[in-house]
Amino acid sequence: MNRATESAPSVQRRLLWFLLPPLALLMLAGVYANYRAATAFVESAYDQRLGDAAVSLAGSLIRDGQRLRVDPSVVPATAHRADHLVSLRYAIVTASGELLAGSREVPAASASLTTNPTFADAIVGGERLRVASYRVDLNRDTVVISVAESASQRAVPGRFILASTWLMDFIQLDVTLLIVWLGVYFALKPLLSLRRQIEAGSPRELNHLDSTTVPAEVKPLVEALNLLFDVLAEAARSQRRFVADTAHQLRTPIAGLLGNLELLMKEPGAAALRPRLEALHAGMENLARSANQLLALARADPSTSFAEQFDSVDLRALAGRMVESNVDRALHAGLDLGVEAAAVAVRGNVRLLEDLLGNLVDNAIHYTPGGGHVTVRAGLRDGRPFLEVEDDGPGIPEDQRGRVRERFYRIPGTAGHGCGLGLAIVSEIAEAHGAQFTLESGAAGRGTRARLLFQSPVNPIQV
Amino acid sequence: MRILVVEDNDLVADAITLGLSTAGFAVDRSATAEAAASALATEHFDLLVVDVGLPGEDGLSLVRRLRGRGATQPVLILTARDTLAIKVEALNLGADDFLLKPFEQDELVARCRALIRRANLYAGEQVNLGRMRLDVAGRMLRIDESPVELTGREWLVLECLALNAGRVVSKERLQQAIASFDQALTPNAVEVYISRVRAKVGEAAVIRTVRGLGYRLDEPRN
Repeated sequence: MNRATESAPSVQRRLLWFLLPPLALLMLAGVYANYRAATAFVESAYDQRLGDAAVSLAGSLIRDGQRLRVDPSVVPATAHRADHLVSLRYAIVTASGELLAGSREVPAASASLTTNPTFADAIVGGERLRVASYRVDLNRDTVVISVAESASQRAVPGRFILASTWLMDFIQLDVTLLIVWLGVYFALKPLLSLRRQIEAGSPRELNHLDSTTVPAEVKPLVEALNLLFDVLAEAARSQRRFVADTAHQLRTPIAGLLGNLELLMKEPGAAALRPRLEALHAGMENLARSANQLLALARADPSTSFAEQFDSVDLRALAGRMVESNVDRALHAGLDLGVEAAAVAVRGNVRLLEDLLGNLVDNAIHYTPGGGHVTVRAGLRDGRPFLEVEDDGPGIPEDQRGRVRERFYRIPGTAGHGCGLGLAIVSEIAEAHGAQFTLESGAAGRGTRARLLFQSPVNPIQV
Repeated sequence: MRILVVEDNDLVADAITLGLSTAGFAVDRSATAEAAASALATEHFDLLVVDVGLPGEDGLSLVRRLRGRGATQPVLILTARDTLAIKVEALNLGADDFLLKPFEQDELVARCRALIRRANLYAGEQVNLGRMRLDVAGRMLRIDESPVELTGREWLVLECLALNAGRVVSKERLQQAIASFDQALTPNAVEVYISRVRAKVGEAAVIRTVRGLGYRLDEPRN
């Protein structure tokens, strides 16, 4: 069953699986978009300033006769942007290709320039540069002014933006995932409690599940289950009715056969046939016992209404009745059957407890050889009521004590007696009474002591 | 003593009829409640043995009808169903005893004898128990027609056991039965009287000790 629940599709797992990866991807896309928007804004601000630097260089051009030249006092070898100590490289080149100032390494941003700065990326000497260029028209002369800035200088604020975006978005992602997980958990909580409700009930009781607290989606399922439980319970009931009816129906013909057989054995001419008649009689009694055991088993089932008719049961009276009704059998088997009981009462079903004690006494009488003792006891042990049957017969081997409670199990090599249901019936009835059923060796390690230890006594007056 | 057996299963009815007549009773049979009712209307029976599951009117209904008519004969109910409800209903209706199928012939005979014995006691008649005859009114025990001397307390113990022959009588009950004669009873007083009664009845009856419960008087089995 555990394996089935592991491999079966879990709604919770499916919900998380369908929600979490797409959400995570969406979040990553958001981080990327945020990063791109922020860097584009920063880039344009940088370009603006690079363009300003280029424009300001035009102020250094001086007309010297026919020639243009650059006033060196205005322009150093490298220009500085006004707000940063960031070194800029530049080139002031005439239309004829003459370098008036700056470095040859700074390329023009574009071949066709306007009087407004144009921007471009360039790689010079393995270094990424951002270049701003524009054209200055002075009467007859045209001069191109280009200013370049290292791209790595721009990367610093870019990384800062990226880091802060990532941080914010990851916190957001985590919180979202947590909310999804909690939402799924709480939404599925009614299903978990339904599962607990199903697990809490005994599979044989087939009690209705509470359909009022389950979610609307599961309600039809629960109602269908309840309907199925009804059908199953009815089927189980009719099966038990069938077993009980059959067992009852068997009793009358068995009574007729047994009665006639007993009379036949008393006939004067029956002496020669006696061993065969006795074998027949034993077989018939076995058949009667089997019918009774089947009936008792049907009766002990927790789903029969019989099991619910609980009342105060006087264990001493029960032990006395059981001993009295078995005195003849014990005498016949040459056994001393007795009772040692103190007044004690438990909550239980008297008919089921009669079945239980009857089976224990029956076993003890059957398996104890002549001359032995069988004692039925009832009383209190450490404040808990007990009922026990002890014999000084051969006992049950320790490794068989668990198995003998199984239905239809018989210790190998033992003669047929009933249909091997006796201790299974005892176990079921004990369970129905919340009592502990133990099999151990009797006094001085001999024989068998079958004991039923109940939870608590009841006051016999409170019936 | 005449017994009417009301049982529809021939095999069971055969066994009961044969078993009871072997035990010395005169036995008549009816297969239905209706036939039994008409037999009872014209003839006298000392005991009825009635099966619950009869075709048509069931056994419990027959008992109800009889008691309604004022019939007082003891009734032994036979049934294949041992539910508490049936047991309680049968005893409430006025049935005197209850025997679950299948049963032993000896058990049936013993129960029938006990029922007739008790009915006779209430009628103030003599009670026969094997070789013993108890004259309840005259407090007299005879074994094989010869009178046996018993003290008052011995008689009370024997009477109590004999009227419940085949059933276990608790030590407490015997103690109460003799208590009025002897205020200062020792706990083993009952045992003393039992052993005296045992000695006096000899082999005419068996008084068994059922450990922890009490005593049971049985006719000796032959």
